[in-house]
Amino acid sequence: MPVLALAGGLAMAVAQWLVFSHAPIEAQMKLTQKIFYLHLPLAWWALISFTVVFAASIAYLRTKNPRWEILADSAAEIGVVFAALVLATGVIWSKAAWWRWWVWEHRLTTTLIMWFIYSAYLVLRGLDMPKERRAAIKAVLGIVAFLDVPLVFFATRLWESNHPVGILSAKDGLEPEMRLTIFACLAALGLFWGGLLLCRCRVARLEERLAAFGEGKGDY
Amino acid sequence: MLRAARLIAAKDILLTAKRGSALVQVILLGFLLVVLFSLSLGSTAKADPVAAAAVFWLASAFCLTILSTALFSLEETHKARLGLLLAPIPAQAVWLGKSMAALCLLLLVQAALLLASAIFLGRHWTGHIPIALAGLVLVDLGVVGLASLLASLARGQAVRESLCSLVVFPLLLPQFLAGVRMLAAAYGAEGPPPTDWLGFAAAFDAIFTAAALVLFPVIYGGDA
Repeated sequence: MPVLALAGGLAMAVAQWLVFSHAPIEAQMKLTQKIFYLHLPLAWWALISFTVVFAASIAYLRTKNPRWEILADSAAEIGVVFAALVLATGVIWSKAAWWRWWVWEHRLTTTLIMWFIYSAYLVLRGLDMPKERRAAIKAVLGIVAFLDVPLVFFATRLWESNHPVGILSAKDGLEPEMRLTIFACLAALGLFWGGLLLCRCRVARLEERLAAFGEGKGDY
Repeated sequence: MLRAARLIAAKDILLTAKRGSALVQVILLGFLLVVLFSLSLGSTAKADPVAAAAVFWLASAFCLTILSTALFSLEETHKARLGLLLAPIPAQAVWLGKSMAALCLLLLVQAALLLASAIFLGRHWTGHIPIALAGLVLVDLGVVGLASLLASLARGQAVRESLCSLVVFPLLLPQFLAGVRMLAAAYGAEGPPPTDWLGFAAAFDAIFTAAALVLFPVIYGGDA
């Protein structure tokens, strides 16, 4: 696990070198556009975190294995942090590009709503109820929340949009150097994300073992 | 299952109407929200159609949260919930019954809110009335279904209303956007007929009805 996080850190260092030395400066937004190389990978890996929450929640309801609950919890934590960073970088970019701190375009709005929903998921961890029931309720919310995400996306898209199109579109206007840089940033943050998730899961399992020792149920 | 759901809905509506306080509180809260927003417009201004629709649905959201938590707290006294769980009915019948009761009560509250909107916000229905009516029902179906699913998770908690709001409001946003657009069209907002939103609302209803039928037994009966 530390190997993955370390590899992710090194990869991110290389990615940063690509951002500032290889990718050209965008004609209209100049240096501000470089925030894109952080904003987009954070958004993708936040969404992947929430997908992991969804899958782990289904697995928990089917098997009642606590490891799935730990995975869902850990992925939700990382997803909320990454979503907060997406919003922070989005706000900075919005001010620079559109002269407003916030615009109600569909991608930012979807991220904001996801952040609210999964923050509520984390709040559920503090509920005063039996452990298994709390885990089942979190699993239900993890499933319902994920079903809601595409609906939020399409609803806000129907409402209004002026966000740049996706990077896989032929009309995105990205130079080949920019495309290479963004995919490198995606891969680097992905390695870091994987290491972070595995570390967080390991910490959670150790916390459970410690709690079990405290209750006299653990094996020495 | 439908018979059991109807019986549960009738019981809940009867108990809520007899006790009176929950329904009165909810209607008063809705009125208060509409009045507060209208105060911000000044003495002569008419509310923008989209703003008026948003106020209506915001008030509906708060009222629905209180209604849903109140409906699920009906069985908390004397452990009556165990009686429902032990009854030879599927758990989904409880969800369906609670949703039906919430829908009836919400429609009653919304009738009062529409009246308040006409009086205080200066807005009444002028166009696209069939779409607005169909939209109102479709949006209400979706929101009561999801709120009933999630209100059951907050039962027994000391801060169940705030917890329910925190969980439910973000999830209901897409459906409320649909409701705002369709009601705004009825209030005279410019633009094409909001028929796309009808399909969207129906899709929301279908997805979360299916989810509730699968997931409700996990929430409601989990610690029996």
